[in-house]
Amino acid sequence: MSTISKIIKEHYEWRSQVFKLAKADIVKTYSGSALGWAWAIVKPTITILVFWFAFSVGLRLKSDIEGYPFILWLIAGLVPWFFMSEIIVQGARSIRKYKYLVTKMKFPVSTIPTFVSLSKLTVHLCLMVIVIIVFAIFGRLPDIYMLQLPFYMLCMLLFFVEWSLFSAMLSSMSKDFLNLVKSVTTALFWLSGIMWDVNKIDIEWLKNILLFNPITYVSSGYRNVFIYKIWFFEQPTHLLCYAVTLVTMTILAIWSYKKLIKEIPDVL
Amino acid sequence: MKNTVIDFQDVSKVYKLYKNDKQRLLSVFSKKVSYKKKRAVDHVSFTIQKGETVAIFGKNGAGKSTVLKMITGVAFPTEGNIKVEGRVSALLELTSGFDPEFTGRENIYLKGRLSGLKEQEIQELEEEIVEFAEIGEYIDQPVRTYSSGMKARLGFAINVNIRPEILIVDEALSVGDVAFKDKCLQKVNKIVNQDGVTLLFVTHTTSIARQFCKRGIVMKNGKVICDDDIDIAIDVYGKSTRKK
Repeated sequence: MSTISKIIKEHYEWRSQVFKLAKADIVKTYSGSALGWAWAIVKPTITILVFWFAFSVGLRLKSDIEGYPFILWLIAGLVPWFFMSEIIVQGARSIRKYKYLVTKMKFPVSTIPTFVSLSKLTVHLCLMVIVIIVFAIFGRLPDIYMLQLPFYMLCMLLFFVEWSLFSAMLSSMSKDFLNLVKSVTTALFWLSGIMWDVNKIDIEWLKNILLFNPITYVSSGYRNVFIYKIWFFEQPTHLLCYAVTLVTMTILAIWSYKKLIKEIPDVL
Repeated sequence: MKNTVIDFQDVSKVYKLYKNDKQRLLSVFSKKVSYKKKRAVDHVSFTIQKGETVAIFGKNGAGKSTVLKMITGVAFPTEGNIKVEGRVSALLELTSGFDPEFTGRENIYLKGRLSGLKEQEIQELEEEIVEFAEIGEYIDQPVRTYSSGMKARLGFAINVNIRPEILIVDEALSVGDVAFKDKCLQKVNKIVNQDGVTLLFVTHTTSIARQFCKRGIVMKNGKVICDDDIDIAIDVYGKSTRKK
C-alpha cells in the first residue's frame, strides 16, 4: 500500500515535469526527420491500407459488417492497436531510454513510463480525430455512443501505464525481457481479435480467455463505439473481466517497482 | 551557526554481480540464483556541515563515486541511513544528465526544471550559462553533435549556475583547456565563498584540492581511512598510493 501512495505522491509532486517531459518525448520522436509529424499519420495509414488490400481485395473475405464498409470496421479496431503496440514495446523500453534520468540525477523513476505513455496517447488522440473525420466522410457522423470513447481510452491508458511500469522495470534488469516483449507483440496482434470478429468465435473456452485480454477489450470497445453501437454497461461480464486483469496488472506493477527500484540505478 | 547537510550513518553498499543478464532476470523471480557480492562502500559514517569544503580522495574503485551517487540520491544504500538536505547539483560524469537529442538550450531548461527551478528563474540564468559554457552557436544544436569538451563545459556551466546548495564535482575539471579550468575554479571559489555552498570535490589532483578544501576524506576499498584536515588527508592519500 505504501508503495502505491508513494508512486501517486511522486506523480502529483512532479506533475508539471511529467507533462513537459511527455511533450519533449513527442518532439523527440518526430523531430530530426524531414516529414516530422507527418510520420505519425503516414505510417498507420499505410498499415491500414495494406491490411484492407490484403483482406478485402486479396482474400475477398469480408464484406460489410453491420452495414459498415470493411475498411471502417478495420480502422475502428486497428487504430487503438497502433497505440497499444507502440506502448507495449516503447513502454517496456521507457526506463532504458531515459537512463540518464535514473543514473545521473534524482528523478522519480515511476513517472518515466507515465510520461512516455502520455506522449503516445497524444499521437493516439490526433489519430482518433482523423478516424472520426474519416467516418464522417463515409457519412457516419458521431452519435451518442461517441460519449463512451473517453471511457475506453481511460481503460486503455490505465492498463498500459501499469504495463509500462512493470515491463520497464523488468527490461531494465535484463534485455532478454525486452526482446521477449518485442517478439510477442506480433503474436498478440493476431491472437487478440483485432483482425477478426471476436463475437463470432464458437469455441467457448477461447472466448472466455479472450475476455481477460485487455487488448481485445479495448479494441472491441472501440468497435462498440463506432460500429456495433453497444454501451459498455451492456456488457458487464466484459467489464468485470477487464477489471480483474487491471487489478492483476496493478499488483504486478507495484510488485516489480517495489522489488527493483533500488537495484535499477546499479544495473543500468 | 552550522547545521548538518549530509549525514552518513554506517552506510554500506553491496553490488550484486551475476554471471550474466539471464541470471539477473531469473533473480527477480527466484531467490536461489547465486551471485557474487561486491562491497563497494563498507560501513561509512561521516557528517558534513553547511558551507564545508570537502575533498574526497581514493584510488579507482575505492568507492568514491558510489558515495557521491548515494548523496545525489540516484543510488540507494544497502544498509545504513543517509540524510541529505538541500539542492544537490552533481557533475557525476561529463555528460551528466543530458538528453542527446535536445539542443544545449533545451537541456538547460530540462536540467533546470529537474533541479526544481521555476521557468522564470531558468530564463534569468540562461544567458549566464550560455556565456559561461563558451560554446557559441552550438547552443542551439543537439547535444549529440557536441564534442566531449563541449559537453563538459555545458554541464559544468549548468551545474554551477543553477544555484546549488550542495555542489559535487567529480573529476569533471580534468577536461577542457587551462583557461576554462581556471574559470571553473574561480567560479567554484566564488559560489563557495559568497553563497555558502557546500562543496564535495573528488579528484586525484591534490594541489587543486588544497586550494579549495579545508577538509579531506580518504577512501580505500570502500572504507574511510582518514577524515581530517586537508593537509593530513593529502599526506595519508599520498602514502597510500605510493606503497603498493
